[in-house]
Amino acid sequence: MAHSYKLRYFNLQGRAELARLVFAAAGVEYEDVRYEFADWPKLKASTPFGQIPVLEVDGKPMAQSNAIARYLAREFGLAGKTAWDQGQVDMLVETMMDIGAPVPKIRQCTDEDEKAKLKKSFAEEHLPHYMEAIQKILEENREGKGFLVGDEITLADLAFMGGQDWLKLAMDNPLEKYPKLQKFVDRIAAIPKIAEWLKKRPETEL
Amino acid sequence: MAPKYKLVYYDSKGRGELARLLFAAAEVEYEDYRFKEEDWPKLKGDTPFGQVPVLEVDGKPLAQSNAIARYLAREFGLAGKTAWDQAQVDMIVETMQDMGNPVIPIWLCKNEEEKAKLTKTYEEETLPRFMEEIQKILVANNEGKGFLVGDTMTLADLALFASIDWFAVAAKDPLGKFPKLQEFKDRIASCPKIAAWLEKRPKTEF
Repeated sequence: MAHSYKLRYFNLQGRAELARLVFAAAGVEYEDVRYEFADWPKLKASTPFGQIPVLEVDGKPMAQSNAIARYLAREFGLAGKTAWDQGQVDMLVETMMDIGAPVPKIRQCTDEDEKAKLKKSFAEEHLPHYMEAIQKILEENREGKGFLVGDEITLADLAFMGGQDWLKLAMDNPLEKYPKLQKFVDRIAAIPKIAEWLKKRPETEL
Repeated sequence: MAPKYKLVYYDSKGRGELARLLFAAAEVEYEDYRFKEEDWPKLKGDTPFGQVPVLEVDGKPLAQSNAIARYLAREFGLAGKTAWDQAQVDMIVETMQDMGNPVIPIWLCKNEEEKAKLTKTYEEETLPRFMEEIQKILVANNEGKGFLVGDTMTLADLALFASIDWFAVAAKDPLGKFPKLQEFKDRIASCPKIAAWLEKRPKTEF
C-alpha cells in the first residue's frame, strides 16, 4: 500500500524545498502543509525537536531537512544506484550546505560597507572555490552532459539546482562564470515533472 | 576482496572521529592518516573541496564528514536495520550538528562578557532543549537501557557519543541534568570494541 506523506513547514522554499523537489521528481503525492509564522509557536511542541520541516509518514514524524530529503530519495530511487554513488551524492548535498552557509550573515548585515565586503568575499573567493570543484565533478561524468553522479537524476542534482535561489540572496548570478553548471541547472529545471513543480509552486521570498 | 580504506585528517578528533569510531565498532582495518598542520597546504589540492576529512576507498576520495560516516555506517551494517530506522538515525546525526554549531563561535569569542553570555545560553537553553528530546528518544526505546534506534548499535549512538566531547568544549557538563544519557555514554564507552579504540587512540585536545 502506498504511504501517506505530509510535509510540514512554513510557506517558504527554505529547508523544505529539497524534499518538495524529491516528491516532484519522483511524481509522488504528498500533503504540502505550509504554516504562517504566527501559527508556529503553538505548533512547536508537536515536532520532534521544536523545529520544522517535519515529514510525517503514515502519521509517524521525522525531523531534520536533509535526513528527510535523503530518506525520500532512498525510498524513491533517487539516492544513487550504488553504495559509492550514494556516498558521492551525499557528499555533494553536504557541500551545498557549506556553499550556502555564509548567506544568512550577508542577509542580516545592516552595515552597508561590511555587507559589501562580505558579498565580495562570497563572490570572489568562497563561491568559486566550490563551483570550480563541482564543475569538474560534472565534467568528469559523461562530459558534463548528464548528471552530477551516475546516469540518472539524483538528490545531488536537485540540491544543486534547487540551492541556486538561496545563493542568489547573496549575489546576482552565481553561475555566471560556470556555463557548464548553468546549462546543467537549466537542464534539470526543464525535466517535465520538475518544470511543472517550479511553475506551480507558491512564489515566496525565500 | 576487501576495500582498502584511508582516512585523511588532522591529528585530532574533530570531524574525523566519527569515522574512526565506525571503523572501531565494525572492527575494520584502515589507515588512520593524521597529517601535521604544516603539511596541509600541500595536501589541500588533492582533496575534492580543499577540506578534510577525506575517506579514500581503494584510492577514490569521498569528502564531507557526515557523508563519510553515513557511507561507512551503511557498508558496515551500522546505519539502521530498516528504511525508517535509517531515517531516525540520520535525524539524530543531523541534530548533533545543530547542537554543536554554537561551539566554534563561543570558542572564538574574544570579548569575555559576550562569551559568558553565549556560554550561558548554550549551557542553560540550547543544549538542554535538545538533550531532553534525545533522552526522550532513548528512553522510549527499550526503556533507555539500549541504543537510540533499534536493538543494536548504530551511527546515531556513535554520533552522540563523539559529539558530547565537542559540546564540552563550550559547555561544562553537557550531560549533568541527563542521567540516562550519562549512563548511555558510559555504556557505549565500555563496549569492548569501542573501549579498545578509546584506549589506544592518540590523546588530543580536540
